[in-house]
Amino acid sequence: MIIDINFVGLIIASIMASAVPLILASCGELITERSGVLNLGVEGMMIIGAISGFALMTVTGSLIVAVFGAMLAGVLISTIFAFLTQTLITNHVATGLALTIFGIGISAMIGKNFVGIPGKEFPVLFESLKDTIPLISPILFGHSIVFYFAFALPFMTNYFLKKTKIGLIVRAVGDSPESASNQGINVRLVRYACILYGGAMSGLAGSYLSMIYTPQWIENMTGGRGWIALALVVFSTWNPIKILIGAMIFGGLTIIQFHMQAIGVRIPVQFLTALPYIVTIIVLVVISRDSRKIRLSTPSSLGKSFHKDN
Amino acid sequence: MNTNLKISNVTKIYPGCVANDNVSLEFNSGKIYALLGENGAGKSTLVKILSGVIIPDEGKIYLNENNLNLNSPSDAKKNDIGMVFQHFNLFETLSVFENLIIDSDEQRESLREKIDLIMKKYNFPIDLDIPVLNLSAGQKQKVEIIRCLIRNPKVLIMDEPTSVLTEQETSELFLSLKKFSEEGILIIYITHKLKEVMQLCDEVAVMRRGKLVSVSEIKNENIESLANKMVGQNLKTIKKKKAKTSSDQLIKITNLNFTSEDPFETNLMDINFSVNRGECLGIAGISGNGQSELFQVLSGEIISEKKSIEFNNNYIGDLNPQERREYLMAFSPEDRLEQAAIPQMKIFENVALNNFKSSNFFNNGLINENKIKEHSKKIISDFNVNTDNIELKSQFLSGGNLQKLIIGRELITSPDLLICFNPTWGLDVGAINYIHETLIKINEQNKSIILISTDTDELLKLSDKISVIHKGKLSKIMNAEEVTSEKLGILMGGAN
Repeated sequence: MIIDINFVGLIIASIMASAVPLILASCGELITERSGVLNLGVEGMMIIGAISGFALMTVTGSLIVAVFGAMLAGVLISTIFAFLTQTLITNHVATGLALTIFGIGISAMIGKNFVGIPGKEFPVLFESLKDTIPLISPILFGHSIVFYFAFALPFMTNYFLKKTKIGLIVRAVGDSPESASNQGINVRLVRYACILYGGAMSGLAGSYLSMIYTPQWIENMTGGRGWIALALVVFSTWNPIKILIGAMIFGGLTIIQFHMQAIGVRIPVQFLTALPYIVTIIVLVVISRDSRKIRLSTPSSLGKSFHKDN
Repeated sequence: MNTNLKISNVTKIYPGCVANDNVSLEFNSGKIYALLGENGAGKSTLVKILSGVIIPDEGKIYLNENNLNLNSPSDAKKNDIGMVFQHFNLFETLSVFENLIIDSDEQRESLREKIDLIMKKYNFPIDLDIPVLNLSAGQKQKVEIIRCLIRNPKVLIMDEPTSVLTEQETSELFLSLKKFSEEGILIIYITHKLKEVMQLCDEVAVMRRGKLVSVSEIKNENIESLANKMVGQNLKTIKKKKAKTSSDQLIKITNLNFTSEDPFETNLMDINFSVNRGECLGIAGISGNGQSELFQVLSGEIISEKKSIEFNNNYIGDLNPQERREYLMAFSPEDRLEQAAIPQMKIFENVALNNFKSSNFFNNGLINENKIKEHSKKIISDFNVNTDNIELKSQFLSGGNLQKLIIGRELITSPDLLICFNPTWGLDVGAINYIHETLIKINEQNKSIILISTDTDELLKLSDKISVIHKGKLSKIMNAEEVTSEKLGILMGGAN
């Protein structure tokens, strides 16, 4: 059997494309969690982003408005979460779960009128270079701007957390909100900002799904990717570079198991479908098992409410 | 330049408690001031007001005649007031340097130079690039002090700074504080330790129940006069009579090891000791040297090799705390509200948590509430717990009353051995006295105690034998009469 080298390139590109929403949502949630807030509403924020992007694109016809609108929708819904958990000091876990249920419900309601409407073509960059180098070109060129942004994001996130003052403040708040507050840092403000940023990234991830990856609206189309994004954050031990690795493994196995199903490999379909979830978690657990490093990168105050009393 | 800090008519009221009642004080640089008082006397509230963490209901603060508006910690910093809290305000997972740069506006390089200068000047050698969690308590405190010094403070407030330090670290700290004072920084030193006030300070202000009781010069005071002002009554001094030497061995620990996977815990290495009936073995050490691991291994929270612990001629190393209690061991953990009692549960429910088979608290899986309540009332009256409501949630008991309840719960079954860990930590003098008397009584009844404590004075007062734990290793066991606090301090620091 001769394997077309460009075909391999295309498969790799499709793996990367399927990793994009995971990377976006995980990197957003990573910042949120690094500030000590556990937002389990990623799935809900993603699906809100998906329907908002698709609806705005259909209604306004503008892709830019749609993408930014989806991010704004993510910000808005995460504002609810931020208000509840930071101002009213509700429990993070319960509020996050409620957010997901709310997001799925409201997106289905808004989406009723958009089922079956075809999406628009999203412009891709560097299309002319697509055939220049075998194998490499299909991987590197001819993708949407969101795709390139997603693959730069883990590195930017890493730089932000390690090298910038604001990144340091985010980590400090996640490590000990009490100390941060006594140092004069406005813990609530930092946490609000991190939650809203996480919302924007989840919204963007959702809009990528409904506008670029599979340009159409299907109810519940995020299909658990929000939960995988959450798992990636934890199993990567809050390390953006490992998120990238995890997202690629997950995306890769998802694509490969499709192909295996298509060529009729005699493995139960249920097992193949479950494979990406299992393998991703195993790999991340194995590469992140240094307990010292886990201790150093885990936000100590994760999920705990902070209430400044006077 | 002379610095003058004035607190004028400060009042802070919490529901059910007046933390500061119309307090006025004046401080001038060149002197070291002590703010002395028991827990709950209001000194922490007062310094939190000075550092902007708490906003007073009434009253004003003046620095060099300027009225300060301290609405947040950053206001205090802007006004050159530096504060080192009792519980460190450090970020454990960040590096030392990251901890220092976080509230500084300076560039990395210039800040590093400045820190290096400070460290050289005051002899604070600390690696700036390791995470804070790898530092000892003394080093962490130095990081806190450096953080204040970076800002060239006019006022430096130290809140109970020696509670985590060794004797040697304490004298080092005192030298530094004297140096700061000579350089014109106004030092306010908060403590409840009288010895330190006499050693370090020039003037002392005593607080009691939110009120300022007295302000005086140290040269006109002595330890007894200060103690009486602090407590508000004359204290009797308790002393332990020398125990009759008994050779009847009760518990024997042989080659006990514990290796932890958690980088925050200390490994225990080759622990060997024995305790006879009627004896109190004190285990000294700076916190974080394996005391909590040792307590957990002895109590059965961590299970060890069966033969490593022999109690009353039984091997019990593999038994859990409940099973060990059946053999008449009793435990009083360090953290009263996290380990010893469940704060949201009522007093009598907490008493029932020690469900000895013999106590008949449960019939066929059902709670025998009357029996438990009767039992709880007995503990409350026998052990002087200051409440008559056994339905009260235990979180509302004061530290002293809660500790009495816990010790009472453990003792009412008359165990052969009580293992306690920092039993008087954070208690006021009255409660400490009561607990000490109780512990002495246990020994007089020919029962034994293992007392793990970070308070050397307490150990010297109560122990018959003393050993020091350092980095998970026990020193040789010494007779208490042959030990001085200086010698303990040296051993606690790791020297031989």
